[in-house]
Amino acid sequence: MFKRKVNLWHVLLILIVLMAILPILFMISNSFKTLQDSYSSMLSLIPKNPTIDNFLTLNRQVNLLGLTWNTFLMATIVTLGKLLTGLLTAYAFRSYQFRGKMLIYLLFVATIFVPFTIVMIPNYLVIAKLDLLNNVVGVALPQLCDATGIMIFLKTMEKIPNSLIDAAHIDQIPNRKIFFNIVIPILKPSIVSVGAIFFINSWNEYVWPTLILKDKGSFTLPLALQNYISSEGGTNFPLAMALSTIMIILPLLIYLIFQKYILNSISNSGLK
Amino acid sequence: MLNKNNKILPFVYLLPTAILLTIFMIIPILYTFYLSFFDWNLIAPTKEFVGLKNYIEVFTDPVNQKVILNTLIYIIFLVILNFVIPYFISLIVKFFISKMQGTYKVLFFIPSLFSLVVGAMIFTWILNPVSGPLAYILKAIGLTMPNWSNSGILAITVICLITNWKVFGYNFILLLTGLGSIPKNIIDAARIDGIPKWRLVWNVILPMNRGIAIYVLILTIVQGLQYVFTPINVITTGGPYYGSSNVIYQTYLNAFVLYKTGTSSALAITTFLIFLILLFLEIKFVESRDKDYV
Amino acid sequence: MNKKFFRNLSVVLSLLALTFIFAGCSKKSSANEVTKITYWHVNAQTQGGATVDQLVKKFNDTHKNIKVTAKYNPNMYQGLMQNLQSAQASGKVPDIVQVGWAYDNYFASNFKYMTPTDAAKKFDGSNKFIDTNFNKRSLSFAKDSTGKLVGLPYSLSTPVLFINKDILAKYNIDENSLQTCEGVKEASQKINQQSGKYGLYIQEPGDTWAQQALMLSHGADIQKNGKATFASKQGIAAYKYYQDMVNSKLALHTPWAQGMDSFVKGDVAMAFTTIAQASHIKKSASFNAAAIVAPHFKGSKTVVPVGGSMLSITAQDEKQQKAAWEFEKFMYSNDSTVTWSKGTGYLPSTKSALKSADFKDYVKQNPMLQPAVDTLDNAIPWTSFPQKGLQAEQAMIDARDKILSGSNVSSTLKSAQEKINAQQK
Repeated sequence: MFKRKVNLWHVLLILIVLMAILPILFMISNSFKTLQDSYSSMLSLIPKNPTIDNFLTLNRQVNLLGLTWNTFLMATIVTLGKLLTGLLTAYAFRSYQFRGKMLIYLLFVATIFVPFTIVMIPNYLVIAKLDLLNNVVGVALPQLCDATGIMIFLKTMEKIPNSLIDAAHIDQIPNRKIFFNIVIPILKPSIVSVGAIFFINSWNEYVWPTLILKDKGSFTLPLALQNYISSEGGTNFPLAMALSTIMIILPLLIYLIFQKYILNSISNSGLK
Repeated sequence: MLNKNNKILPFVYLLPTAILLTIFMIIPILYTFYLSFFDWNLIAPTKEFVGLKNYIEVFTDPVNQKVILNTLIYIIFLVILNFVIPYFISLIVKFFISKMQGTYKVLFFIPSLFSLVVGAMIFTWILNPVSGPLAYILKAIGLTMPNWSNSGILAITVICLITNWKVFGYNFILLLTGLGSIPKNIIDAARIDGIPKWRLVWNVILPMNRGIAIYVLILTIVQGLQYVFTPINVITTGGPYYGSSNVIYQTYLNAFVLYKTGTSSALAITTFLIFLILLFLEIKFVESRDKDYV
Repeated sequence: MNKKFFRNLSVVLSLLALTFIFAGCSKKSSANEVTKITYWHVNAQTQGGATVDQLVKKFNDTHKNIKVTAKYNPNMYQGLMQNLQSAQASGKVPDIVQVGWAYDNYFASNFKYMTPTDAAKKFDGSNKFIDTNFNKRSLSFAKDSTGKLVGLPYSLSTPVLFINKDILAKYNIDENSLQTCEGVKEASQKINQQSGKYGLYIQEPGDTWAQQALMLSHGADIQKNGKATFASKQGIAAYKYYQDMVNSKLALHTPWAQGMDSFVKGDVAMAFTTIAQASHIKKSASFNAAAIVAPHFKGSKTVVPVGGSMLSITAQDEKQQKAAWEFEKFMYSNDSTVTWSKGTGYLPSTKSALKSADFKDYVKQNPMLQPAVDTLDNAIPWTSFPQKGLQAEQAMIDARDKILSGSNVSSTLKSAQEKINAQQK
């Protein structure tokens, strides 16, 4: 009886896997279809007349390498910035008592509740003043700190036993060393998983970059996709899917590289 | 020496974050607040002071009222789809199956690697109510797909499903990470005592995982309302007749389609206040629960 | 020795620096200075973006003293206006912009621009270029509510009725019967009864261009003397027809992209949409597709608001303005205009390009364009209200959405009309 119950759960889980993965297969399949086939043989996942023309056309029409580099640069700056500010801030809260601590903490937490619409226009003007329009640095700059990171790191740091830090203090180990040699290694699993999520979110970012990046040369991959969604001239679905397929390569690689790390950190600390 | 350090060091650690937040968040919020009392179109040389008119419009205009109602519907849908279901599934993967846990984790997370623009494009194509693959499959078994883009509530459902496709794995992993950090000995002890699994989950796991869970819940509402922006923009542009618009999209519409900077700023400030109330409630809720358990 | 070495080195270095400065100076003074201008357009890769790049490159190659940089603005004219707003706010405006007709008055009253009449007078000394290239009708599209020329017509488009000939043949529908809206309805009934498919799709983008065409082709006026008048008997009747078709599942009501996908897939027999869709339909449809003149109601004739855009000079510096004018003249040469038409699917805006053998050949090879060319004679300027034009357009979009979800036609149109007129003063 126990066994049957377990199997039923697997049915549900496999169904979810299908819902998650089928659209992706659909995307890849359409990126190898001709425009006509994308309409006429919609249901077949294996293209009737497989072609790599979409990728060749893309390569002709846009600078794929440049787009990828811009996206990578932006995501890297954002991720490193968010990790650094997040760790420092969380550490300050974890290790010190100071005046106004609660107020400052609440202020940071409150930033999660700031909708992007409220800062969009003023931030645009600031970036323009700094002459960072059409520059991925301009996109990254206002996003270098993230309260969700602070919160997660603080939650994890709070799990570090006080005795460990106290012992270090008694041994007169400098704060810098406590931070780098004790706290950071303990936090490694969450740094990796939070960092991966930061990177992927930034890689896929759409709304804010559309305001800052106007020049084709500074576009990131999601912005280049707009080229192929044009209602006036019709949407070229296979081309858009080909670009989407290219767009997913790096996040997928990064995920595959760090995935083991993330999964290990989960199973090590939890149940078998 | 150590004491002196203790006074300055925390502020040194906080400095980068503080500077960034001041320039890119606190000052902009104040500026938007300032703009919300003016009639302006972003470029005209003069701004006309109108007092509270923009705020009155936010609450009395029937379209804005509809949009606020939609926002509540979005919140309900997002909480169910992007919080309750992932939480349920993460519990199942963690405690109720013994094989393939790794495989599920790997696969569930994959959609969250995608951009919402891509997700929106794929799903509008798949879910085209007349000519999409799903419509054809349904037709083959004798069903008609409802024309979801003509009904506000159905459009909201589809838009939420698209964000669910993306966010599910992300929230799932976060919740699972939380479940993973629960000390093993507590669970082992419960096992040895022969406590049934569902009771273990209800009485031990859920309370212990409260921190991450509430964080994900907050994220689901606050980020979710902003995540749906992209699919709304790509698929329905808020239609039919503002049926799928929410406060975030409406703010954008007023700012960049109608160039009513004042109304837009008033909407943004109102959204922020609603979010802050949410924050306040959550903190209250967490505090009171903490007292029960500690 | 060491000291000597450094002294020598510093002498060499300063000499080198001096030569560079001189070289720099002489270069600047002898060669013609290159004037850099930016051109903002809306042409995505699916819609002639490559052709724009090609034309700009050709211009830069043939005009050594001017360098044009083309910038693509996503999300059509609305997106471009949005970017222009932000650019103005940040103080860096482009030199030439492509402005959609619907933004005519809005652009004129919010941005600094140089009217083509002034440019022609200042740089050519006469109005000849404008008079020889454009006819009165097409110039009327580019005038604001005060009658001032805001830019020069650049691309023109009209709605046409795209038809799926295979479906029409299967159900014995005579193409000629589709000249009237009544005929279209009858055909849709036939198709719907026998196949369950939809008869018609009318485009529903973020404007009411096609719906205005429907009202105009029932003899209604959208505006008169700057006041909205579309809630007339004819306007209401046209919308009732449309609502009725949607309610009885004869017409599909869905966003633009999905609607066009359904037509291309063969689930809708006719699509009332812009001619700019022609090449997409040709490339993607696996049935025999054609285009005919947009239908009109019995007793009226086909009247459509023109679609497309104009080029306006936003440069503030005289040097830039001159270069921009030079660039415009190049873009309006027959060769460029026809190349651009071929790449984008729009109709050329100049008299001579429309009549050129090159374009006529092109129409012969692409017969879908013919009805659009024919319709141009019945095109009127796109309604652009003098005050709060964007909000007026939004009011019309809102009315359309409400009606198609079942609201009472006459009261909805009337309240939209009142709302717009209240803002006109």
